[in-house]
Amino acid sequence: MSSEVSERVAEPMLVEDWERLTFRVNREAYRSPEIFARERVDVWLRTWLYLGHETEIPDVNDFKVRTIAGRPLIFCRDTEGQVRAWLNSCPHRGTVLCRETEGSQRRFQCFYHAWTFNNDGTVAAIPDDGAYEDIESLQKNMMLRAVPRLEIHEGYVFISFNPDVPPLLEHLGDAADYMTMIEQQHASGVTTLPGVQLYSVRGNWKLAVENAMDGYHFSPTHNTFVGYLRESGFAVTDDNQYAYNLGNGHSLLVLTGHGGRISMVWEPRFGEDERVRTEEHRAEMVERLGEERAHYIADESHILFVFPNLLLFDIEGLSIRQLEPVAPGHTDVRAWQLVPREEHPDSRALRMKTVVSFVGPGGLATPDDIEAYEAVQRGIEATRGAGDLDYSDMSRGMRDEVKGEQGRSIDEGAMRGFWRYWEEAVGGGLAVTGDRPASFLEGRDVR
Amino acid sequence: MTQADVRGSIEVAGRTITRGDIEDFLYAEADILDAWDYDGWFALFEEGARYEVPTTDYRGWSLHTGGSFVDDDYDLIKARVKRLKSRKAHAENPHSRTHRLISNVRLFPGEEEGTLRIRASFVAHRARDGQFDTYVGWYEHVVVPTDAGLKYRLRRTILGHEALPVGARLSFIL
Repeated sequence: MSSEVSERVAEPMLVEDWERLTFRVNREAYRSPEIFARERVDVWLRTWLYLGHETEIPDVNDFKVRTIAGRPLIFCRDTEGQVRAWLNSCPHRGTVLCRETEGSQRRFQCFYHAWTFNNDGTVAAIPDDGAYEDIESLQKNMMLRAVPRLEIHEGYVFISFNPDVPPLLEHLGDAADYMTMIEQQHASGVTTLPGVQLYSVRGNWKLAVENAMDGYHFSPTHNTFVGYLRESGFAVTDDNQYAYNLGNGHSLLVLTGHGGRISMVWEPRFGEDERVRTEEHRAEMVERLGEERAHYIADESHILFVFPNLLLFDIEGLSIRQLEPVAPGHTDVRAWQLVPREEHPDSRALRMKTVVSFVGPGGLATPDDIEAYEAVQRGIEATRGAGDLDYSDMSRGMRDEVKGEQGRSIDEGAMRGFWRYWEEAVGGGLAVTGDRPASFLEGRDVR
Repeated sequence: MTQADVRGSIEVAGRTITRGDIEDFLYAEADILDAWDYDGWFALFEEGARYEVPTTDYRGWSLHTGGSFVDDDYDLIKARVKRLKSRKAHAENPHSRTHRLISNVRLFPGEEEGTLRIRASFVAHRARDGQFDTYVGWYEHVVVPTDAGLKYRLRRTILGHEALPVGARLSFIL
């Protein structure tokens, strides 16, 4: 093959064959700068993006600085208590306005020419503004630039750089109730905590999505963590664990055989005191929410992916994970712990220890996930330009799909749903052979 | 802390511990870790000891009340060691090559009777998968002199990074 051929992004991106029951993803999708640039425009500048949780900025004048879709932003609560997202760039000449990472202030002042803005976006001061023809219109035109759209669901703050994006709840669709279920876990609601895991991986952002939706890897990749769970008295099983496509690119794993859950499902390593507290909490949930709702909220672990940059791990504890693509092979990750606003200090301590022992770049499990998708990022170079060989296989579980059976978490159905939605957004071609079973493609009645 | 707090030796539980003793302890640990002698490393902890790595936004809170990178009690340290000795600790199989430099060692009286606090700087280099990553930060340890030498009661690594850079996951001991 010539180098010219090997550098071209070959189509199609997805190859789906319902006669052979195969589904394949073009590996260019993970490494091509051209695809990355298309994603920026067709995904990241078009849809809703998770910005942060309201509880990160609980008080008026609180702010955090955060880069989303490569754009520096100020995420703040103004003096009136309203949640805002400003482009972190002086309207005058473009300087980054706020160079702190977090804090509390009513005004943001640009150090370059000392233009000053209130946190509601209005101009507070433009030095020597008498030099301008029309001060009034200058002040109006030079307000802070807001992110075009901002909406909040259950404390999760989403933004869009596209003013014409449909309402947030329409985008969230079936994912919205799973976020509500997290909020409902505790009568006092949930809040984020300081101690944010900020780290970067040498892998494409979509590999992080795949990894989260891939129950198949759990036993082999996390062999040492599964061993630790077994030794601490908890059986781990892949039985009765299912994967769902929720539409709009969102997906869900429902896991029942996957470790205990602080304040929900007790296991021996949590200790006897926690058993009592767990039982009390469960009784309170049943009273507040009813038996059936309490069952769905408490007895199952959920891993929810909200397209394109939010992962909610409702497992041992609650973690929010946010993905920020930097380059085709480089993703920044930010992870917060969500906890009940009111919780026994011993439960809180147990929760933090338990969550961190699994989740995060210093845990006993996540480093192996990162190892896996960094290894994919390196390994997929081997078939670059090799045409039909340059595809990854995600066929697992299609046999059950044509029979109309619910996909298991240890299959690859959630990934296929993600990729089909991605292909619709980004393009690049989808080659379909045979007839798609409509029941599957339309997703499932989750509840 | 003031200059008066900085001292070359400390009396703990009837013994005199010098900065040289502490430096030898830290250097020996660095050699143990660079040689991947994880049983040897585990032996440096007293029973009930902890190993902590706070997140990069750490402002001094208890790890029991906020997120962290590592929040290991003694059982988890044991589990971590067992894991790292397994060839199925994929993130460290094959092992990273590491090289640690420890400096700016100072010692202070511990808050608890019979303990002392160590503060030191470290630079750790890690080579793996054709990549070379650097970690920097401070140690803020609590140690106890015993008949079998110094033991950790708390081994705490404070990172100097704003965020963990690419490749810098904490799959080995820092």
